[in-house]
Amino acid sequence: MNDLADRARGISSLRDFLELLKDAGQAITWSDRVMPEPDLRNIAVAASRDASGAPAIIFDNIAGYPGKRTVVGVHGSWDNIALLLGRPKGTTIRELFFEIAGRWGDAEAQISFVPEEQAPVHECRVESGINLYDILPVYRINEYDGGFYLGKASVASRDPEDPDNFGKQNVGIYRLQLQGPDCFSLMTIPSHDMGRQIMAAERTGLPLKIAVMLGNHPGLAVFAATPIGYEESEYSYASAMMGAPIRLTKSGNGVDILADSEIVIEAEMQLGERVLEGPFGEFPGSYSGVRKAPLFKVTAVSHRRDPIFENIYIGRGWTEHDTLIGLHTSAPIYAQLRKDFPEVTAVNALYQHGLTGIISVKNRMAGFAKTVALRALSTPHGVMYLKNLIMVDADVDPFDLNQVMWALSTRTRADDIIVLPNMPAVPIDPSAVVPGKGHRLIIDATSYLRPDPIGEAHLVNPPTGLEIDALSKAIRVLQQGVAQ
Amino acid sequence: MSDMLCPRCSRANAIVDYQGWQDDTVVWTIFRCITCCFSWRDSEPASTIGVGARSADFAVDAANLDRYPKILQQVGK
Repeated sequence: MNDLADRARGISSLRDFLELLKDAGQAITWSDRVMPEPDLRNIAVAASRDASGAPAIIFDNIAGYPGKRTVVGVHGSWDNIALLLGRPKGTTIRELFFEIAGRWGDAEAQISFVPEEQAPVHECRVESGINLYDILPVYRINEYDGGFYLGKASVASRDPEDPDNFGKQNVGIYRLQLQGPDCFSLMTIPSHDMGRQIMAAERTGLPLKIAVMLGNHPGLAVFAATPIGYEESEYSYASAMMGAPIRLTKSGNGVDILADSEIVIEAEMQLGERVLEGPFGEFPGSYSGVRKAPLFKVTAVSHRRDPIFENIYIGRGWTEHDTLIGLHTSAPIYAQLRKDFPEVTAVNALYQHGLTGIISVKNRMAGFAKTVALRALSTPHGVMYLKNLIMVDADVDPFDLNQVMWALSTRTRADDIIVLPNMPAVPIDPSAVVPGKGHRLIIDATSYLRPDPIGEAHLVNPPTGLEIDALSKAIRVLQQGVAQ
Repeated sequence: MSDMLCPRCSRANAIVDYQGWQDDTVVWTIFRCITCCFSWRDSEPASTIGVGARSADFAVDAANLDRYPKILQQVGK
């Protein structure tokens, strides 16, 4: 256990993590020749079927891209997430949730700066004749995507109106569509940090320079996808939560970037310009529409020698996107609810970025779970995303769907359902009648307290707790021994 | 400019962005339509790049590009 934790804290790059994953049997190399389409998509989807144990897959023989490598599924299973957190394969989702919830915050950040000439990311530099296709073995992620996408790019940018403020520097994952050899479009919305910065640049006429990091420290990939405060730094969160230093350096256009990334694309927004973007197969498992999105022109590219292009399969779940952001969607909702309601014992918002959430709570009084549910809808993520909420008692593990279904089957009375009509909603929910608005559903599957009528049934109470957890693991170990 | 029809908007406004080579042979070519911004590789399955074989649900109406909304529109512009 300690060895695993030490090794996880020693990760400073994608390469380090791939080595760790290989040693644990969680990364494989696919050396048979593959076509960019549809082979890469097909293999990534097949791997996604095993949410528990899928390996990262490194492709090193892609037709038309000799000598280039791409990797998918780095965060594609709970076992890979466990290893990132220094925990063994087989760690339960519930245990991983509490591991992350316990680390939440940025108090212990350790940021170090590496001179540009010593940063591995600057080993190779392209400043003229840029053709991104020369460097990136891109492929169409879903068959009706509008083009070739970078689906796992962490985009770093400075606030155009306060460029010296480290905290206001944003790092986020935004989908980028290649728009020719040296241009790409970026999709965001006004409420996202990047959306704010784009609108500020266009309002003031100030330049917006960004650095697109590909193949990153696996801790950053997680935090770039996590909603934190505008003035909080994703780098600080990633460092604090990994319990290890993060090495930064400067991009050629003055943005703080990871010193050990595989590839960094420097670009500048073309103020006022828009190009057609999309569709793109998004996390609800449906395509976004075609929109006119901001255009960025590439000014330089830095990369390590023999860079690894990291990408993601995203679409109808289960996909890497769900394991990448699931626990980091759940943990802040849990932390925010616990401030007001310490009776909340766990939050599972793994499904489609929290379109369905399951919250376990100790009922303080009859009907209390509904009050907690309404509070959840007003958390920053809940405002747009928590569409369906299932409330269960603290004796039900919200990460164990068998237990959740038991609670639904035995503790739900049909009049314990609340529908809140015409609420704000994330526009890409495919069930929306009007994109951007929708109904919320709360199912109270907790048990009853007086003055509710309670009924006559008495529960079977099977043995639970650490002893049973240990026995369950012992059975698994014995079974694995037999299999060998 | 190539004479390739865009599989998405059916205009003949495509340019070549890149060619993938292996063993001194072109393995595939990436095209981009400058009317509707669709990019494609000529080795992709017909369901994605076949004119007429693609789902009409994903066609772009090149005669009416104003119908596609602009994101992050500034107020008053």
